[in-house]
Amino acid sequence: MVLTPALGAHYTCPMDKIFLKAAFHRAMLFAGGWLVLTNAQHDALAPGLGVSIAATWLSLRLLPARHPVMLWRLARHLPRFVAGSLKGGVDVALRAFSPRMRLNPGWIEVSCDLPDGARAALGGELSLMPGTLAAGSAEGKLLVHLLDTDAGHDTAIPREAAYIAALIGRRSQQA
Amino acid sequence: MMADLATYVLTALGLVFFVAGTVGLLRFPDTFSRLHALTKADNLGLGFIALGIAFQTETWAQLAMLALIWALALLAAGTVAQLVARAALATTQEEE
Amino acid sequence: MTVWLHIVALGLLASLGGALWRVWRGPSQADRMMAAQLVGTGGVGVMVVLAALQDWGLLVVAFALALLAGLAAVGFVQAQTPDGAGDPEETAPSRPWKDALAATQAEKKP
Repeated sequence: MVLTPALGAHYTCPMDKIFLKAAFHRAMLFAGGWLVLTNAQHDALAPGLGVSIAATWLSLRLLPARHPVMLWRLARHLPRFVAGSLKGGVDVALRAFSPRMRLNPGWIEVSCDLPDGARAALGGELSLMPGTLAAGSAEGKLLVHLLDTDAGHDTAIPREAAYIAALIGRRSQQA
Repeated sequence: MMADLATYVLTALGLVFFVAGTVGLLRFPDTFSRLHALTKADNLGLGFIALGIAFQTETWAQLAMLALIWALALLAAGTVAQLVARAALATTQEEE
Repeated sequence: MTVWLHIVALGLLASLGGALWRVWRGPSQADRMMAAQLVGTGGVGVMVVLAALQDWGLLVVAFALALLAGLAAVGFVQAQTPDGAGDPEETAPSRPWKDALAATQAEKKP
């Protein structure tokens, strides 16, 4: 009899499974990019195979896969991201065009327990959302610039952090 | 006909956002606020332009190429905004 | 349609002209860099519009431009770090930033 792990225990994928999954995702990505760039011409297919393999190998060397990225969650997150960046653009455009230009810039620090890659993804996403701009991190805290400290844009940050945490299969500590 | 209408509307919107980005870049009082304007408005502008032009494409390959360009621009914008903000933090003196 | 797309392309070029003013005036290096970034994104936009007007092959030019614009910014940031080759996170944020953070916090709870 195999003992089943206790329910609710922190579940982690085995390392080689993560590696294989990441290699597969990246190979598909590079192959797709090659097909688009070459218009899927027949005589470009053979070099494309070599290029995809080389690119996958290089990308795994430069950025080893450490966390399982859940593509279906990424796909589900996409509409929310597009909506957020739309709001961000409209917000900043209205401020730019309005004659009084309501700005009250300021900084906040947000504690963030995501690993490096995920933190960069969160920062990139926040930079396209309304009113927030990430400027990297210091001592494990994300530095965020707010366009208007009175507008409450910072309430979006924990929510986005939780979404990104879910993408790499983590439950966020922040409620 | 509908496709042409979509192109008119979407490219016009794209142009508005590009202009908003430039206006923000010229009007906003400090470096970081200007970075907000640039990152958010510009990207949306390019997105709308690409979407508008997508209605004029003739083959799937052109459509895929447009999607690739937009995805690349989006990814680059998010990353570059952070990097430039960080570099500005480390170097800027109070200027205004 | 042709006329309209030409107008869009001209509009994009005009907005790039505005960005060039910021490249010229600065004041900080980062301001110049981000204005150059806007010229990059705008250039991609112009190329995409011209692709529809003239030759769809221009989409490849737009793609290359988007790629180079991103890499240019990364190059700029690397050149700004003290050893000229690194990660901007290795330098601690400057003194003015600490003051700015404190100011925001003070304002939040009056």
